[in-house]
Amino acid sequence: MTIFNKCATSAAAILVASFAAAPMVQAEEVIKLGLSTPLSGAAAIWGKGAEFMCETAAEEIREAGGVSVQGETYFFECLSYDNKYNAAEGTKVAQALFNREGVKFIGGSLGTAPVRALQSLAERQGALVFTTAWGASLKGPEHPTTFTQMNTPGEILPELIGYIVEQHPGAESVAMLNPNDATGQETEEIAATVWGEQDVEIVASDYYERGTTEFQPIAARLASFDPDIIDLGATPPADAGAIFKELDVIGWDGVKVVEVGTGADGLKATGGDAAEGVYMGAGVTFNADTATEHQIKVNERAKEAIGESLNAVQIGFYDSLFALKAAMEAADSVDPQAVAEAMPDVTFKTFYGSDIGFYGEERYGRVQQMRLPIIVTQVQNGELVEVGRLTP
Amino acid sequence: MLKSTSTISWLVFAGAALLLSLLLQDLYLRSVLNLIAISALLAVSLRFVMLMGELNFAIAAFVGIGAYAAGYMSTAMEVPFWLAILIAGIGTGIVSAAFGAVTLRAKGPYFLLIGFAFTEAIRVAYSKVPALGGTSGMVGIFPPIAMDPWMPFFVMATVIVLLLIFFILERSDFGRVLFAIREKEEVARSVGINTFIYKIATIAFACFAAGIAGGLHAFVNNVISPGDFSYLMAAFALAYVKVGGEDHFFGPILGAIFLVSLSAYSLGFGGDEHFIYGGAIVLVVLLLPKGAVGAIANMRPKKAHVKGGGHAALEQ
Amino acid sequence: MQTFIQLGATTLQIGAVYVLFSLGLTLIFGVMRIVNFVHGHIFAVAALVVAYLLPILVGGGLAAPAAYVVASACGIAVSLALGAIIYLFGFRYFQRDLVGSFILSIGLVLLLDGVLLHVFGGAVRGVPEIFPGSVNIAGAQITVQRLFLCGVAFLMAGILYWTLGHTKLGRALRAVAYDHEAAMMMGVPYARIAFFGFLIASLLAAIAGALIAPVSIVSPVIGTDYLIKGFIAVIIGGLGSVPGAILGSLFVALVETLGGYYFDSSYAAIAIFALVIVVLLFRPKGMMGRA
Repeated sequence: MTIFNKCATSAAAILVASFAAAPMVQAEEVIKLGLSTPLSGAAAIWGKGAEFMCETAAEEIREAGGVSVQGETYFFECLSYDNKYNAAEGTKVAQALFNREGVKFIGGSLGTAPVRALQSLAERQGALVFTTAWGASLKGPEHPTTFTQMNTPGEILPELIGYIVEQHPGAESVAMLNPNDATGQETEEIAATVWGEQDVEIVASDYYERGTTEFQPIAARLASFDPDIIDLGATPPADAGAIFKELDVIGWDGVKVVEVGTGADGLKATGGDAAEGVYMGAGVTFNADTATEHQIKVNERAKEAIGESLNAVQIGFYDSLFALKAAMEAADSVDPQAVAEAMPDVTFKTFYGSDIGFYGEERYGRVQQMRLPIIVTQVQNGELVEVGRLTP
Repeated sequence: MLKSTSTISWLVFAGAALLLSLLLQDLYLRSVLNLIAISALLAVSLRFVMLMGELNFAIAAFVGIGAYAAGYMSTAMEVPFWLAILIAGIGTGIVSAAFGAVTLRAKGPYFLLIGFAFTEAIRVAYSKVPALGGTSGMVGIFPPIAMDPWMPFFVMATVIVLLLIFFILERSDFGRVLFAIREKEEVARSVGINTFIYKIATIAFACFAAGIAGGLHAFVNNVISPGDFSYLMAAFALAYVKVGGEDHFFGPILGAIFLVSLSAYSLGFGGDEHFIYGGAIVLVVLLLPKGAVGAIANMRPKKAHVKGGGHAALEQ
Repeated sequence: MQTFIQLGATTLQIGAVYVLFSLGLTLIFGVMRIVNFVHGHIFAVAALVVAYLLPILVGGGLAAPAAYVVASACGIAVSLALGAIIYLFGFRYFQRDLVGSFILSIGLVLLLDGVLLHVFGGAVRGVPEIFPGSVNIAGAQITVQRLFLCGVAFLMAGILYWTLGHTKLGRALRAVAYDHEAAMMMGVPYARIAFFGFLIASLLAAIAGALIAPVSIVSPVIGTDYLIKGFIAVIIGGLGSVPGAILGSLFVALVETLGGYYFDSSYAAIAIFALVIVVLLFRPKGMMGRA
């Protein structure tokens, strides 16, 4: 084949493929919900889980009859784009979601940098944004259409640290470690304050680069301060497990905390026995005594679909749909501004089983935070067990 | 190539691009057009340095320096946006000259890999400076509201001016010296040319353009983060050059148009975007080693064989 | 003193993996003048296969060490196959073309990222310890697992060194690396030698992957961190030089260990890059590099 023919056939193939991939004409009223999450790279599993949860919620709402507004029935559809955890891609995703797909509601977003990019565009267009991102700068009165769908360190830490200090009254010093990014920096700030309030001395507070795989020097350094407690803050579970394993080899033993650790699977995978006794603040357990039947069922499906148990981040992408449904029906409108105004006052049923609403006036100056239960968990005998639950 | 044909092609190309940037109303397509323009500038800048035989893989670092400089000047120092971009570009050029002075002693793969190491180091450095927003990025980089409808035009015009300068430089004696350096540097030196100064000048101008591209990027996206400027940006720029064809000035521009459009299209496939992008690059590199321009060049009939004018070409 | 010994042990252990990794990179460059960014994925594939198969085999009743050997063999085989395919359908056409081969490798990296994510999923997999327990050597605590890793790594390095110096294949590889045209004129079958060189390099990466699986965090993205460090090691040591690769790897491991221990580890990352630039200032071809 000549080069020209090669070009022509490839161009034809691309054209055909693009028509085949073009969205089908909708036969019913559909509200498209945009999701901006990492779908590739190290955090890919969070994004995939988020997509799964959004689709699960959308399916459940559809089966229950959809959303009724002004006599019309609407169903949700989840559109998930990859923001690769950086602002440039976050902007591309935002542009595609708002300007190409015409989305007016963001069902969930993950990653402070891409969320800032998203928020910037969303506000110029009057769209409503749900986010799991922790940056407090995203949430004040200047951002009236942004809502948070999971607990952040601000909510979790006072409860978690309070519990730990109560359980281990002899522990007087803590060494902290966090990943070197927005999440880590925000967590460290809040944690430092709370540990201080509990009269625990902070002997070290370090950062490490995400993507590190060799944790020996880091573990050695932490152990050298001889702390009673080692707090790994926002370190992802897999990294945390590796660090605890190294600490175990060196011979350190003490109170282990992964403040905003979201799941035990990664922790156990890399930490093995060293994961025993670790406290986590954003973990979710699926044992029969604390979880509802519905939770256990969905979690089993999730494990098949994505390979891991669900965590608090992904659950937020389920809750936001039910919150949106409640707000839309309360406002009797699908206009994002009206829905945003109704949101602070609605109640809806969260994945955790209870009926909740929003709060946050004190901390953020605006009611925008889902009033989710704060669950303290600990790894006991290789299983994640719930040891405390507070509803704020 | 006759001067008149290239002038005509230039006028047609520039005119079409500028018209498009003025008339396009769809918000989404405007954003893609901005992206294409900035990417084309990067690709041409990269190719410019390739003219002297080196692969400036540090280009992403310089785009980042330009973006952060422009962003900081605009948000923290209230410098008017066009001035911020200009100063950012000049600053980046100066930094790159220093970089080049130090690193150009290393050649080929070493220069490539130093560029790679430099990019990653600078990226980590941004995340440690709170004034630059750390890892969550710098926000609020907006041009004045009045500029909003004109942004694509501004971006396109700036890019076209710089592209023109690159083109003129390449066609001038400066360009000829660069070819000489690439082929046999010792010979160029033996006739008294200070090759080191030429190399530094090349890097400086190429990175001045990269810095301007960075400034444009900052104002177009309004938010920048260290992760935007990783080695992948340089890798993509190189892909634009290779896919478009490195032997011709317009090659990188074609490559940028094609690949950026492909990436915008494949965004809808979620996590598979990189897969499609990577697949496209691999396919083109394997099937069209001279890039699109090379393929088109192969289609032109060789003058000696054609009788009866150009009609024969259409039968291929 | 105790600390120094422990840090020294850590350096050796971390360096061992980098050594295996960078030996492959330097070999590929030396023989084919290719900068191969896909090397990380060949490493990752082996680790992923091991992490995937091991729990299945152990669950099926096989004893841990035996299961590990079987899983490693499979992982290495898959990696080698991948390497062979990449070479035969790709790099073979781009030898000595720095830019072309580099771009091809970038495209392959993006492609394989997607493939690995699909095949293995994004979840981190746990690999149970094969050789449990730890030993105390001169006051430093080392797990048996890591000791095993070190041992194998340095053994492979030694074998490679010996192969290059004393076998026909080794001499052919060195000849091609030194002056490929002259080698061809002397009758060295360049195409075949280049292929073997690539396979050997992939084998080293695969072994590294299989060794790292029980001690590290296995997910589809582990290749990248090692790739960056591996390239730095190779630049410092000199592209194409085997002793250079070993020296460079140990140097990077040392900076990482000391930096991570005495300072914040993210500063250690910056320090490594700065040091590369410094080394290249004084020795533009790396410490032991040649053309």
